[in-house]
Amino acid sequence: MSKDMKFLVVDDFSTMRRIVKNLLHDLGYQNVTEADDGKTALPVLQAGGIDFLITDWNMPGMPGLDLLKAVRADAKLAKLPVLMLTAEAKREQIIEAAQAGVNGYVIKPFTAETLKEKLEKILGAGAK
Amino acid sequence: MDKSASLQAQYGARIEALVAALKGDDRSAFMGALDDLVHVRKPALMGELRELTVNLQVALDRFRLDSRLADLAEKDIPDAHQRLAHVLKMTDEAAHRTLDLVEQSGPPAERTSNSAAKLLPSWQAFRARKIELRAFHELLKGLDAFLPAVRADAESIRRNLAEVLLTQGYQDLTGQIIRGVMLLVRELETALVDLTRLSRAEDSVSPIGSRSGNSQGHGPVVPGVTQGDVASGQQDVDALLSGLGM
Repeated sequence: MSKDMKFLVVDDFSTMRRIVKNLLHDLGYQNVTEADDGKTALPVLQAGGIDFLITDWNMPGMPGLDLLKAVRADAKLAKLPVLMLTAEAKREQIIEAAQAGVNGYVIKPFTAETLKEKLEKILGAGAK
Repeated sequence: MDKSASLQAQYGARIEALVAALKGDDRSAFMGALDDLVHVRKPALMGELRELTVNLQVALDRFRLDSRLADLAEKDIPDAHQRLAHVLKMTDEAAHRTLDLVEQSGPPAERTSNSAAKLLPSWQAFRARKIELRAFHELLKGLDAFLPAVRADAESIRRNLAEVLLTQGYQDLTGQIIRGVMLLVRELETALVDLTRLSRAEDSVSPIGSRSGNSQGHGPVVPGVTQGDVASGQQDVDALLSGLGM
């Protein structure tokens, strides 16, 4: 996995975007772009160049689950690694996200260690 | 006006025509007279029917509104109360956690600063080549102790800062809960405005939407409020996902 890879962090709360961005920086990933909901994230993704998507679920406008479905439905983006980072903790929702093709699911509040572990797991699986 | 005279004037001639047609067994005259009678009665009937319909509509609207208001009062408002109490608890915990970490970071920062200040004069003397041998040995001993101590202290400060960063996640979590309560307040406002309108028997009631479904999301788990099967933590999520083959 390359430390040059480009992340897109999607969350409607700017504080959470800053937190994730800082954690990614700590892990050595400097290339991080932000969007505040699915609607603004999708054009960024479609423009190309994003290697990893980290998205919240509950956002006004276009929620994360719809963004995930849109990504999987787009031939160019279908294989993009997607990590859901959300406070949504209902089992049926986690199953729904898994069925929609999410690569990892982290519930808030989370630790830096959990985020690191999931990222590495997803990137490791993609490299195989 | 005399009621019987009015009835006589309104129906007398028509009934007589009807009776005459019946006696004469004149079908077409009978039907004509009957139609005539119904025609006279129709506007009054329609008026009554219209009034009934309006009353029924108002009653239905009021019933819908009453049951939604009862829901709001009995369930949603106490829920909102609990949600806000949870927000209060989370902000309190986050603020204390942040203060703890700041307080913990003070001593190592101060220790580093003091140790450096203590070493500085000897170091400056050394750089100016004006240090005595004994003082030089003291300086080396001091540096031997200083460097690993600085490393450990700086590391603990860095760890605390990372923790402060994560603790700020409370803003997202509480923000989501507060947004939910704001939606509820708006709904309550709409219901109350509609109720006022109904009391004045003016406009019809605007439909009260209810939020359901997973697509938009439900927000953070609030103890005592969130219903359904909820994952208890990250381990639970991992177990669920690995059960699904992920």
